Amino acid sequence: MANLATKVKLYCDANGKTVDFAPGGNVELVDHSDGKGPFISSWNVSGLAQPSDSDLAAHDTAGDTEESNNVVRSTRRVAYGDIGDQLDEIFKDIDAWKARIQGIKDANPKS
Amino acid sequence: MSKLFVDQVDPKTGTTLTLGTSGDTISIPSGVTLSSAGTNTLTGISNTPAFSAYLANDSDQSISDSTSTKIQFEAERFDTAGAFDTTNYKFTVPSGQAGKYLIILQAKFGSSQQNDIVGSSITLKINGSDSNSTSWLGPGYISGTKDPILGNQLNLSTLVDLSASDYLEGYAFIKTNGAGTPKVQEGNDLATFFMGFKLIE
Repeated sequence: MANLATKVKLYCDANGKTVDFAPGGNVELVDHSDGKGPFISSWNVSGLAQPSDSDLAAHDTAGDTEESNNVVRSTRRVAYGDIGDQLDEIFKDIDAWKARIQGIKDANPKS
Repeated sequence: MSKLFVDQVDPKTGTTLTLGTSGDTISIPSGVTLSSAGTNTLTGISNTPAFSAYLANDSDQSISDSTSTKIQFEAERFDTAGAFDTTNYKFTVPSGQAGKYLIILQAKFGSSQQNDIVGSSITLKINGSDSNSTSWLGPGYISGTKDPILGNQLNLSTLVDLSASDYLEGYAFIKTNGAGTPKVQEGNDLATFFMGFKLIE
């Protein structure tokens, strides 16, 4: 099952809204460590109602895919290396750089 | 009532000078200064209640991404008034112990995936509500690059005026790139802790 944060983000994306979970943001998720799990503590997304359980469940499968792809993105990011080093690679031989990046993408496909 | 005007009162050789007996009150009126250049051994004046709890058991606490989560302080170094609840992870001001308290909250953060954290915070909650004490680190937000980091450690210290039965809890928040599972780390019992004591007023 996808994380609550992932499903809320997808729900907002699907409705053309931006969610911000950071302190002072428009949505707060809380877990009191009482075994009941995380829940939406406050909702202040202008023009969009707080999602129901079924609204969130509708984004569960897509949420799993998103989280799986996040792992791929993270793996790729590490393999790409420092952006400054990449700029140096591009300057010296852009085709070799493109081949290396494509190899990383092929080795770490998204769902 | 009579007054005793003397320059010095000493105990008889080999004895201790005692002022009053149990139940008596000896007052020092306003404007009077009690100065001491010697050694003071004062019983009954201490910074208590005092507590020190920490995340332990050699296990990090996994939490949900972007979710303010109560830190599970399940172990204590000391708890002078038995006021820290290691089941519900909170300190409750005992009856008769209202006053100003110095509170220190610290947490170390990581993720199951390397270089995954883009923001984190710790918050002291008083009676279930956010206090004004939040320590916040968001490297991605600050730099605008959203470059994630491997881990970090946050600490907040605050003085709060508390009433009896008020309770305090520590919450942690970690925002990641969504690749791994965020963790509050115990760090050999030293990295994540919650402590405090009442000031002498």
